[in-house]
Amino acid sequence: MTEVFDKFAQIVAKSLRVDASQVAPDTLLTDLGAESLDLIEITMETETQFHIFLPDKSILETAGEIFGPGILEKDGYLTEEGKRLLSRRMPEADAQAFEGQVAIQDLQHYFLKVGTWVRMIEGLAQYTPAECESCGGPMAASMGFRMKCEKCGGEITLRSGEEINREWVREYYDREYRPRAEALVSATAVQ
Amino acid sequence: MNALGNSVYDSSATPSGLPAGCPLGPWPQSVYCRLDALPYEPNVLADLILSPGEGAQWGSMRAVEKRRHEWLLGRCVAKAAVRSLLERDLDLYLSPTEIEIVPDPYGRPLVSTTLQEPLQPSISIAHSHGTAVALAVLDPNAHVGIDLESLTHRRQDFETIAFSPDERSLLATLSPDVRGEWALRMWCAKEAMGKAIGRGLSAGLLNFHINRADSASGFIEVELRHGALEQCPQLRGKSLAVYTALASNFIFSAIIYQQGAVRMRPSRQEILDYLLHKMGELTQDWDYPDPVSPASRLFTELGFESLDAVVLCTAIQEHYQTPMPFAELLAEIGQQQRDLSIDELTDFVDTHLGGPARSGNVTRRVQ
Repeated sequence: MTEVFDKFAQIVAKSLRVDASQVAPDTLLTDLGAESLDLIEITMETETQFHIFLPDKSILETAGEIFGPGILEKDGYLTEEGKRLLSRRMPEADAQAFEGQVAIQDLQHYFLKVGTWVRMIEGLAQYTPAECESCGGPMAASMGFRMKCEKCGGEITLRSGEEINREWVREYYDREYRPRAEALVSATAVQ
Repeated sequence: MNALGNSVYDSSATPSGLPAGCPLGPWPQSVYCRLDALPYEPNVLADLILSPGEGAQWGSMRAVEKRRHEWLLGRCVAKAAVRSLLERDLDLYLSPTEIEIVPDPYGRPLVSTTLQEPLQPSISIAHSHGTAVALAVLDPNAHVGIDLESLTHRRQDFETIAFSPDERSLLATLSPDVRGEWALRMWCAKEAMGKAIGRGLSAGLLNFHINRADSASGFIEVELRHGALEQCPQLRGKSLAVYTALASNFIFSAIIYQQGAVRMRPSRQEILDYLLHKMGELTQDWDYPDPVSPASRLFTELGFESLDAVVLCTAIQEHYQTPMPFAELLAEIGQQQRDLSIDELTDFVDTHLGGPARSGNVTRRVQ
């Protein structure tokens, strides 16, 4: 169990009024009784405590905007391309998670899992500097999504989770999808 | 069985069970049901009303009691709503176990009964804080969304996540004593809209944009944007009215809209508008010296590569839900070493969209 897990479990337990011992990495937030507004509350508390900015939609939605319709998901099911992207993105999912037909609604099991949130928080927290870049002084939360150096007063604005996700998807698209798709397109054109 | 069915039906459909100005008001063809507590001991109730498939799901649920009970309560109101709808409008009597609520791949609940296919009603279910509601209509093509949230104290700053600056300025015009209530109404309106389109709020909260809230009638107008609009392109340019009401510490919201059963063929101008819009989206970070126009050519002027063309073609087919021979078109262009203007592409799409040409303005029925 990591420090991030412990802290997140406390947030969840407090918000949903359950005992922290009920919160395990493979627990679903909804199984603990979370309603949609509880998820908003957990999101806000997480952002405040970890100094991060969570994305407002799943990685599949963000990727769908970049890949275009019908590539990652078709008629409610993941395509092979969609499975490939998610298994790359979500190493904490079980090995069999993306085998066979995977309906979009089944993904809730991963998007609402405590372990997925913890991995996402750990990922985003890397973008939040612990020390001031110019003087090395300690950083503290300032107004909104800004942080301020306690020593020199230098301020930074945190990057949004959505922006960071987009960047990851664009890189994945260019590095892994584009070459594969282009090979496919030229093979079709030759025929 | 009937005794139970009737007691569920009675307890939910008596006037005392309805909130003031409940969603039955604007939609007389619907049936609305509400339950504030399980009418029987949970396992007894499950045995009585669930289908075998639902029973298996109930048996394997790992959730906390609150969640399990609300799920069961949700099944209970949904079945009660469908039963009373069929009784009222078709004089058909089904037992609760003959009605199954099965989620589609996106998670939207579908009604499955022992009746013929065209008679499967549309339904939406919501639960919060131990209360569940359901709204059912007979039309299987109707889009139904209902939501329910308790007015318990929420963090004030939830507004900063749930609403855009425009939406918050809408709230800022309200007096402080009703602001919290209307923030929750606006939230519920988004939720109901998400359920009605069948995809929830997965496209992002801010893509369900609230244009207007009418405090006299309770109607809140929601417009889909970006990702949400991609999920249902037929709602482009539409603002849909979601009904909201306050009753005994709960906010209710509901919407029913119908799409014309016959898909009308878009005009050439509408196709061109869509293509220009889509091009704008695809190429938003590409920095062109001139704006994209109907005469712009994809490859030489707009810098398209073959993959970009494939992405565009896929998007067009998805948008119009019609397969078109793009592969042949692209192959032909490649062989002849020529380019393709947006105008030519418009003609191509226009030619390959079947159905009768439409004259005049949009005639789709949207309530």
